Amino acid sequence: MTKRIPLIARDLKRLYTGFLIAAVLLFIVCSVLTNFNVMTLIANGDAFWEFITEDFLPPALPKADRIPGVLSSVLVTLALAMSATTVAAVFAFFVALFGSERVSPFPRLAKLVRGFATFLRNIPALVWAFILFSSLGIGTGVGFVALFITSFAFMVRAFVETMEDVSQDCVESLQAVGASFPQRVTQAILPSCLSGFLSWFLYCVEVNIRASTIVGMVGGGGVGLTLFSYIKSFQYDIALSIILLVAVMVIVVDRVTGKLRKEILK
Amino acid sequence: MNREKISVKCRQRNRFIPGFLIGVAVLTVISLLYLKIDWLKMASRVPDIGGVFWELAHLDFSNMDLIFSSLVETVSIAVLSLLYSLLLGILFGMLAAKNVFKHPILSAAVQSFFTFLRAVPTPVWVLLMLVCLGMGPEAGVAGLCVHTTAFFTKSFAQSFEDIPEETIEALEVTGTGRLSIFFNAVLPASLGQIVAWAGMRLETNFSECAILGMVGAGGIGYVISNSLQGYDYGTAGVAILLVFLVAYMIERVFVRIKRKFN
Amino acid sequence: MEPILRFEHVAKEYPNGVHALRDVSFEVKEGEFISVIGPSGSGKSTLLRAINRLIPISGGRVILDGRSVSDQKGRNLRAVRREVGMIFQNYNLVYSLSVLQNVLHGRLGYMKGLRGIFGRYSENDKKEALALLSEMGLEDFCCNRASDLSGGQKQRVGIARAIMQKPKLLLCDEPIASLDPSSSKTIMDLLWSMTKRRGIACIVNLHQLDVALKYSTRIIGLSKGEIVFDGAPERLDDTMIEEIYGTSRENLMIGGTEDDKADTVNCA
Repeated sequence: MTKRIPLIARDLKRLYTGFLIAAVLLFIVCSVLTNFNVMTLIANGDAFWEFITEDFLPPALPKADRIPGVLSSVLVTLALAMSATTVAAVFAFFVALFGSERVSPFPRLAKLVRGFATFLRNIPALVWAFILFSSLGIGTGVGFVALFITSFAFMVRAFVETMEDVSQDCVESLQAVGASFPQRVTQAILPSCLSGFLSWFLYCVEVNIRASTIVGMVGGGGVGLTLFSYIKSFQYDIALSIILLVAVMVIVVDRVTGKLRKEILK
Repeated sequence: MNREKISVKCRQRNRFIPGFLIGVAVLTVISLLYLKIDWLKMASRVPDIGGVFWELAHLDFSNMDLIFSSLVETVSIAVLSLLYSLLLGILFGMLAAKNVFKHPILSAAVQSFFTFLRAVPTPVWVLLMLVCLGMGPEAGVAGLCVHTTAFFTKSFAQSFEDIPEETIEALEVTGTGRLSIFFNAVLPASLGQIVAWAGMRLETNFSECAILGMVGAGGIGYVISNSLQGYDYGTAGVAILLVFLVAYMIERVFVRIKRKFN
Repeated sequence: MEPILRFEHVAKEYPNGVHALRDVSFEVKEGEFISVIGPSGSGKSTLLRAINRLIPISGGRVILDGRSVSDQKGRNLRAVRREVGMIFQNYNLVYSLSVLQNVLHGRLGYMKGLRGIFGRYSENDKKEALALLSEMGLEDFCCNRASDLSGGQKQRVGIARAIMQKPKLLLCDEPIASLDPSSSKTIMDLLWSMTKRRGIACIVNLHQLDVALKYSTRIIGLSKGEIVFDGAPERLDDTMIEEIYGTSRENLMIGGTEDDKADTVNCA
């Protein structure tokens, strides 16, 4: 028997094979656990198609007197995402200063700060919304706080990583010069990391545009709530035009943030 | 003697950033005014948040079997949708990448179709699937797949296009077919990135899957929203804690895996 | 004459159990140019950073200009640090700021309140910084971004920043390790002339034995966190070198032949 000649390094091959086996095993286990079968999807293809052609198409406009309401709900969603992200970014900046052992004036607290951010981040925005609904009642205010919490936690982590990548060296040199902590922040950290911070901020705006639509669906207000109420009342053709509206909103925001990011990183 | 102030700033610094910062600040103030949030009322209820957390901290393990089975279901839906979308994403990513088939109209068409799918938030897709397919994991998997496939198509196409043109040319001149160039050169070269994207997406999928229940698709999200609305804070506390632990574990595992691939 | 710096039985043990310094004692007098040599991991970098407390020591005392460094905190620590200039292997500039701003960072330790935070430097400081830059041949670059400079130019900015502090002591952590030979020579010549003219004592960590022999008035050899040699460069013989580096002199010089060896000794 001849031995096959290996084409890639042995350990790399083992890694890939391991991943493949793990993926297949996971696939089988999960399929069994949920009784999920792609065939049911294909078998349901007709019903699916019927639903799309009959209930969905063509898109219809809501009643004329409702249109201003729908448009203003889009604005609410945009405003929610924008304000929550900015306020979160400002807070995240100050907290992130204490989240890195190399930069913070109190290195011992850094782990605590990061742990707190990890805790906030790993609970989905909608779960926060639900927790807050049961204490603050429903409304845009709660949507704001829920978005604030998750984007704050996300940005703390992103900002800490940016600072450790970019400004660790110059922070050390300013320490050696005898600069105080506020001086180190404004003279070393801010100039070297600002463009990185802003790039993360824009990413967060993109994410929050989607998230604010979702939080809106369960009671945070905005276009999400409008859309949800049309779906709930089986007016799918009107729902479709609002879905299109949401899609346009998201695409436009993505385009704008993409352009801005290029300018900032120049 | 020169009495003028000496400027210390860079000659070619980025003049865009100050304007951008002012713009963001103005927009934020306008947004906050537009939202008309009743801050006083919110602030007066803040102590209640402490109360809710206090209640949540009284963990109640009596519904453990329900919580556990719905958590397993949620994780399975997240994993299944990820795996199906990986295959679909590679397929559509191949079609969308400009350098694989060199067919600009095809890739533009695929790209813009998936840009639209991606722009619509996941719960909307799940809700629509629920309407077509009825309750069950099928709706969850299918709904999540739409968004995840769209995401993968874009990111994989990006990775494929980052492969240097020379690599593909070198194989082209040997007379290799387009498909085998893809499977022998383009795909292996971007495998590391694909794993990184998949890991990042599993985190998102799990957290989105956890919220699916809140729009009525079952799973752990349903348990959380249901028990919160029924003032059964102990059960909700356990469920939220488990969601946090699973999300945290996924994050840690993929930090490890990414390090291996670098 | 009162020494500028005195180490008294200084020890440093890292939390992971590594002994970076053991019982290190020495004195530095005004105008000395000291090279610290030793293999990687012998504690050179820790020794330097113990002086301005970038790394806190775990035993003994560091006395700078009559004050014990390890007792200082907050404002007093910053006052100690501004008397000590430091130059780094990776230059450690803020690359998005202008060359002039980077040089003026040397004055931050003397500035109080909002003026320091917002970088409103006095016109006198600015003039001094410009004069220093033209002394170093960088006057044309003063308003360029620091990231546009070459390695040797960046290190010159680093030196200018340290000199702006008007220090009594200059610490250089591998100042030429990332530079090509000709820039290395420029930097070492600059360091030598700048410190000589201003009467600043200078401690340099070096990998290059030949450079250490050429420039220094005194050499300190470190091995595994202990001082194994302390004296004039002429006294550093082959057996000493072998004790410091744990290997013979021939193995330290790339392509080192007998002729090269003679050259380096002549230089010293």
